[in-house]
Amino acid sequence: MTGPLLEITDLTIRFGGLVAVDGLDLRVNAGEIVGLIGPNGAGKTTVFNCISRFYQPDRGTIRFKGRDITSSRSHEIIRFGIARTFQNVELCRSMTALENLLVGQHVAMRGGVIRDGLRLPGVGADEARATQRADEMLELLGLTRDRDRVVSTLPFGLQKLVELGRALVSDPALLLLDEPTAGADKQEIQGLADLIRRMRDRFDLSVLVVEHDMSFVMGLCDRLSVLDFGRRIAEGAPADVRNDPAVIEAYLGEPEVEVTEV
Amino acid sequence: MLSVEPDILTDLPWGQLLVNGLALGSLYALTAFGIVLIFKTTQVITFAQGETAMFSTFVAFTLLTVFQLPFAVAFALTLLFAGLFGALIERVVLRHISTTTILNPVIVTVGLSLILLGAAGWIWGYEIRTFPAPAAGPPFRIGTVVVSQLNAVIFAVTLALMGVLYAFFRYTRTGIAMRAVSQNRTAAQLMGISINRMNALGWGMGTAMGAVTGMLIAPLNYLDPGMMGDVALKAFAAAVVGGLTSLPGAVVGGLLLGIFDSVVGFQVPELRNTIAFSLIVLVLVVRPGGLLGKHEVKKV
Amino acid sequence: MARWLGTRGRAAAPYGLGLIAVLLIPALLNVIPGIAPGYVLYLVSLALIYAIVAIGLGILIGHTGQFSLGHAGFFAIGAYASALLTLRLGLPFVVALLVAGSVSAAIGFLLGLPALRLSGPYLAVATLGFGLAVPQLVIWQGSWTGGASGLHGLPLASLPLGAFTIVFRTDQDYYYLAAAVLIVLTIFARNVVTGHTGRAFVAIRDSEIAARAMGVDLVRYKTTAFALSALYAGIAGSLYAHLLHGISPEDFTVLLSIDFLTMIVLGGLGSVGGALSGALLLTFLQNALTRLPVVHDFKNLYIVVLGVILILTIAFFPQGLAGIARSARLRWATRTVDRPAGAGQIVELGERSGVR
Repeated sequence: MTGPLLEITDLTIRFGGLVAVDGLDLRVNAGEIVGLIGPNGAGKTTVFNCISRFYQPDRGTIRFKGRDITSSRSHEIIRFGIARTFQNVELCRSMTALENLLVGQHVAMRGGVIRDGLRLPGVGADEARATQRADEMLELLGLTRDRDRVVSTLPFGLQKLVELGRALVSDPALLLLDEPTAGADKQEIQGLADLIRRMRDRFDLSVLVVEHDMSFVMGLCDRLSVLDFGRRIAEGAPADVRNDPAVIEAYLGEPEVEVTEV
Repeated sequence: MLSVEPDILTDLPWGQLLVNGLALGSLYALTAFGIVLIFKTTQVITFAQGETAMFSTFVAFTLLTVFQLPFAVAFALTLLFAGLFGALIERVVLRHISTTTILNPVIVTVGLSLILLGAAGWIWGYEIRTFPAPAAGPPFRIGTVVVSQLNAVIFAVTLALMGVLYAFFRYTRTGIAMRAVSQNRTAAQLMGISINRMNALGWGMGTAMGAVTGMLIAPLNYLDPGMMGDVALKAFAAAVVGGLTSLPGAVVGGLLLGIFDSVVGFQVPELRNTIAFSLIVLVLVVRPGGLLGKHEVKKV
Repeated sequence: MARWLGTRGRAAAPYGLGLIAVLLIPALLNVIPGIAPGYVLYLVSLALIYAIVAIGLGILIGHTGQFSLGHAGFFAIGAYASALLTLRLGLPFVVALLVAGSVSAAIGFLLGLPALRLSGPYLAVATLGFGLAVPQLVIWQGSWTGGASGLHGLPLASLPLGAFTIVFRTDQDYYYLAAAVLIVLTIFARNVVTGHTGRAFVAIRDSEIAARAMGVDLVRYKTTAFALSALYAGIAGSLYAHLLHGISPEDFTVLLSIDFLTMIVLGGLGSVGGALSGALLLTFLQNALTRLPVVHDFKNLYIVVLGVILILTIAFFPQGLAGIARSARLRWATRTVDRPAGAGQIVELGERSGVR
């Protein structure tokens, strides 16, 4: 495959009078870890929600592996190879960690209510395969002990790990991470950066990460894209972006009024 | 082209159907007010509104017949009873219900309505009684259209209450506090508003509204535990069609439903409810937040 | 069947006991003096039929989180479809049973489409309307549905088996028929909810956003849940019509829908076994109340009891009977085996996910 893995051109979306994302161009190449950063309310999560097809952009195209996915449905995205996590963790709260990871393999398994209800041949084998895969992932993330615990009873940090595992177990080509450091302390943040890099190498991933913790993305990302008020104000290697006057201005002059992040 | 068939549309007594529909619709709207009021403050859609109204009306009936109180006194005492009763329901039942799933309040209010229905049947029985009308007298006639005094009163009360409630929510401290609670519970709490008190107040006011409704409907039909069944259902529909948080929405929804009911009921009485509910589903599918309500999209 | 029981191990034990009970009940009744076995068996059959509806409704409400206050409507559709097919067209019972289930499922699918746009209470209102509409339509189309007086004199249920045909004549015959259908449908339901489809249902209930992001097609699974629960109600309706040999619109009131709801709330939302036990318990409770000598006003007492059950269960045992049983089992397990801390949070996998 030639060309970028993910290519966003001229992405624009408005909520009422507010332009949340304004003419954004963004690329993620195979194997890259790209950071999408910016002050609160800059529109970062909105970009994710456009890629995940929860929001319909007013203008612009999103291409993945060369294919236009701008009008795909939200549940098709994971099939194309894009998996994501959420800022505030969206797990199936009544399920165990293991079950969440089985949900992560939803599209990889054959469905059908009659097939399930009659336990047609193959159902048991499918389940066993998926369970084995989920167990491997749990082990990799150090979650084996919490395998059978209901996720709503797990501490937030572990919930975030389960969510990461659920995304990874779907075998994505591109992983979208929304604020992975939220709620984590300094030490955990360092571990998280290592973990993401390890996962990238192991699963041959590309990663697009939304963050506002600058030091975290500086250490982690190959390339950064900086958003402010929905517009891209800088792009490049972390070191260059750090010294960009527009970026400094955006961060220092961060407005007091917080625009609601949608 | 000449037509020999009579024109069905012009042959219908349109004026009378319209007036009947408006009268019916104000009943729906009036009952819907209580549902909207309770939803606005407590975020609970009550399925018990019809039954609390019925129960209060029986209390009024007892005050009138057993204690022989004058209508105005009985009316006032019933309002007081209903207000306390509503607050009590909130305090004793709903406050203890976990709202983590939206199903819980629905199930609990369905349960409440069953209890009230059974209790009323137990206490007062199923014989059909007549309830004195607050306004009796010769009906008004406008051309061929007849409007009973009671219907006129109901219509007037509906509009007046809408105005009063609107002003209450807009201009009084308590009303504004109740609105604040409905919009953002945490923020309201931080401002020093007691959520529990507002919830109890919402239930109290909503139930008192129901008592007014019941006392106006009972003389129109009759008094019996099942008297609110059909009306409450339509009121529910009116509230939902109107958008659940909007008082004018409830009036618009109620009147539309009433007129529809009267016109369709005139032609295919068997299908009144069927067609009414198909219409509701249609409205909701096109506008999930109702006609005048705001549809809230869950934040991702 | 054997395989299913074998792979389920301890979680299946109550079902195994249930199966033995099913086989033994008629014999037991004949031994106990002073009761009319026929009537009791009729009552048990009724409870088993309601249990079928409850299991289907449980999948919709308990697992998928979609509300319905109108399942008496699907029950009525199944009953009328079956009655009309056997009575008017002379079709065999088995065909009527299957068609009744399919028709109901198809209508459930169609009702599931607008339901996609409605949530929680809005859906409750819409389904309530549906439940009201069905008997009205039946009365309206009186020329072929029998109108308000209903359809009567349905032929006996029968099952052609190769050369000969089983005819269900006595209450005991009918009891075995209802029990057999219930067993098959219980196994089917458990397989669905513990498998891939059931996980998608629960994912939708827990977080629609997460479900979508993980590739669960909401349209497909929500309509599937509706169709499946309508299928159960339709099949149950068909059995009901033939158990009573006759039906009328007033059998299918809103109160019946609320009965179904109470069964699954009492039994425990999200549990097939709970729906089953809730249905049995409530039907017997209803009957026991009519027999209380002090009560001459049965209907009032019954609806008050229903209301109290709904409120108390939600307030104190949100997981219903199934939840009580689960915590009792856990307490037993932690008492006999020295489990590490946190064992109290381990969910019985067999109950919902079936993943081993």
